[in-house]
Amino acid sequence: MDLWNWLEYAAWALSALFGLYMVVDWLKTDSSYSEDVLTSSREGELEAMTEEEHRG
Amino acid sequence: MAHYEPPKQGKASQLIDVIVLVILTVGALFVPLWMGMAGAAKTVAAPIENATWEALGQTPAQAAQYEALGYTPESAHDLILARFDYSFSVGALVAMVVVILLYYFLILRFSDIEYREVISEKFGQK
Amino acid sequence: MMTDTDITSPVMDGMGPHGTKVGLLRVLGPAHVWALGVGIVLVGEYMGWNFAVGKGGAYAALIACWFAGILYTCVAMIDSEVTSTVAAAGGQYTQAKHIVGPLMAFNVGLYLVFAYTMLEAANAITAGYLFFVVAQMSGHAGDLDQRPFIILVIMFLAWLNYRGVLATLTFNLVITAIAFVAILVLFVSTSGILGGGIMQHAALFEGHELPYGWIGVLAAMHFGLWYYLGIEGTTQAAEEVRSPARALPFGTLAGIMTLLIAATLTWYICSGVLPWEFLGDGVNGAVAPLFSTAQLAGSTGLVWLLGFGTLFATLASANGCINDASRAWFAMGRDKYLPGWFGAVHPKYRTPYRSIVFLVPIALIFALGAPLDQVITFSILSGLLEYTFMPLNIIMFRKKWPLNSIKRGYEHPFHPLPALTLLALCGITFFAVFLGYGTQLVAMIGFYIVVSLWFHFWRYRFVNRGTQFTMPWPKPQGY
Repeated sequence: MDLWNWLEYAAWALSALFGLYMVVDWLKTDSSYSEDVLTSSREGELEAMTEEEHRG
Repeated sequence: MAHYEPPKQGKASQLIDVIVLVILTVGALFVPLWMGMAGAAKTVAAPIENATWEALGQTPAQAAQYEALGYTPESAHDLILARFDYSFSVGALVAMVVVILLYYFLILRFSDIEYREVISEKFGQK
Repeated sequence: MMTDTDITSPVMDGMGPHGTKVGLLRVLGPAHVWALGVGIVLVGEYMGWNFAVGKGGAYAALIACWFAGILYTCVAMIDSEVTSTVAAAGGQYTQAKHIVGPLMAFNVGLYLVFAYTMLEAANAITAGYLFFVVAQMSGHAGDLDQRPFIILVIMFLAWLNYRGVLATLTFNLVITAIAFVAILVLFVSTSGILGGGIMQHAALFEGHELPYGWIGVLAAMHFGLWYYLGIEGTTQAAEEVRSPARALPFGTLAGIMTLLIAATLTWYICSGVLPWEFLGDGVNGAVAPLFSTAQLAGSTGLVWLLGFGTLFATLASANGCINDASRAWFAMGRDKYLPGWFGAVHPKYRTPYRSIVFLVPIALIFALGAPLDQVITFSILSGLLEYTFMPLNIIMFRKKWPLNSIKRGYEHPFHPLPALTLLALCGITFFAVFLGYGTQLVAMIGFYIVVSLWFHFWRYRFVNRGTQFTMPWPKPQGY
């Protein structure tokens, strides 16, 4: 066992940690917000906003 | 133009669509690989025995760089002599051109049909 | 409308009048756009471009470098004009949807996702290999297992992307700048500008000027694209920059200029030190040509600098690819071109988190299961199909909406010359790919034909017809 063997284990562990973080946060987010809010993003917000500014 | 109301897609159906796409994608990459059609390999047409830098077509300046990189004439033999084969048949070239043109024709045709529908719904029929 | 929004709330500030409760965050400046574009591409100077040398010799690689440079200058000009008008996540996908039509848009969206996801896989493979080499150099007994490092690269960058776009691209800005400076430092310290030069172009080219003749120059175009592949990804940030009409053209055009300089310098440095047979073999010879050049320069400092440069370039590229692929996937989900579930934005981090997470295993499949040249070819082919779409796109754009009908943030000069040049260069590159990877080209187009039929006859029924056209433009001419 030299340094690189330890680094291999560390890489596995860190990968698992990052993966776990994303999955846990994803499930938590999905359960605490309604689907309507999460998927409410629409294309073209910017154009619509500049249009309104010009009108106003 | 009547307003088109798309059906709402259920969870299961969404999942099936994703699986279909993933299978197609992975297939597109791995099927040519499994069928052994992947890539153009370099080959050594005429190997040289007891290679020297001169026999490999290297000037002293070039040989010096190879030695700096840690090569000997023997270990550099394959690296230096391997060549691609650029010969091709006209039939294969024509087939490729036809496939590409067919593909773009297909998409542009279908896109145009769909696009006219989008425009007439968005801007109304004149 | 007023009841479900609250401007002081971070999650429901009611951005825009269309009912978006949670949208992407508009926080980026031109420097981030530059970092996104150059960051993805710069890895191409650290590895991969030298396959072009193998295809036709050093001169062929230089000719390919400049012709591909022209190709990408056309791409950047055309892209800047369209995207300064169509500023939405999804980039070319959204452009195609508004200008050519839904099926084209679906295909373009897939080109984008594949080109970037494959490039991300290629970067992770290269990073894993770097760790392997460093372990060997430091005297590690036995072979290092590359898999945990490949997975770590993808996981860490996906996590960074998941957590927010500003940190992601600021990180990219820093490491891209270091990688670019490393090339400059290597140039000044080996070319004779500072201290003794080690360049010997004439001596190394002697007798090997064009080893395959002129067909080698054509064949080199295939990997000539690799010098610049991905610069068009700047448009994916459109929904997250503060002033897209200004920042996108500026960042993109500054990016292509940076790359033209970096590509030419890289060619000059490497071909002046490494013999072409070694340089041109990216598998058994120069895997990382700039790094190999630094090793021959005989300075430990340069070796370290270029080692880190190579690592940073692969990380920056993979990072940008995750950003771009997930934006394209997200945009398609939002329009129901793909299941609508993907069109979600994280309420706190304001990123397309489901698309980011979904693409992680896809990238891992390719990074762990396919050989590098295969993955690169898949990426280049998707890119090439995309560049062939661009001239069609701009010609239709100018025809349907002439210059006086809508205001553009940037108008590219000499139309239609750039479009026709781009089309001709794409034709040449198709031929170059045909010379080496003809069967894959056909297999891949077969794939796109199958998914196109799937989309037209099945998937498109879930898409809203009129409302997917979101730009406040007048009716196109001729309809």
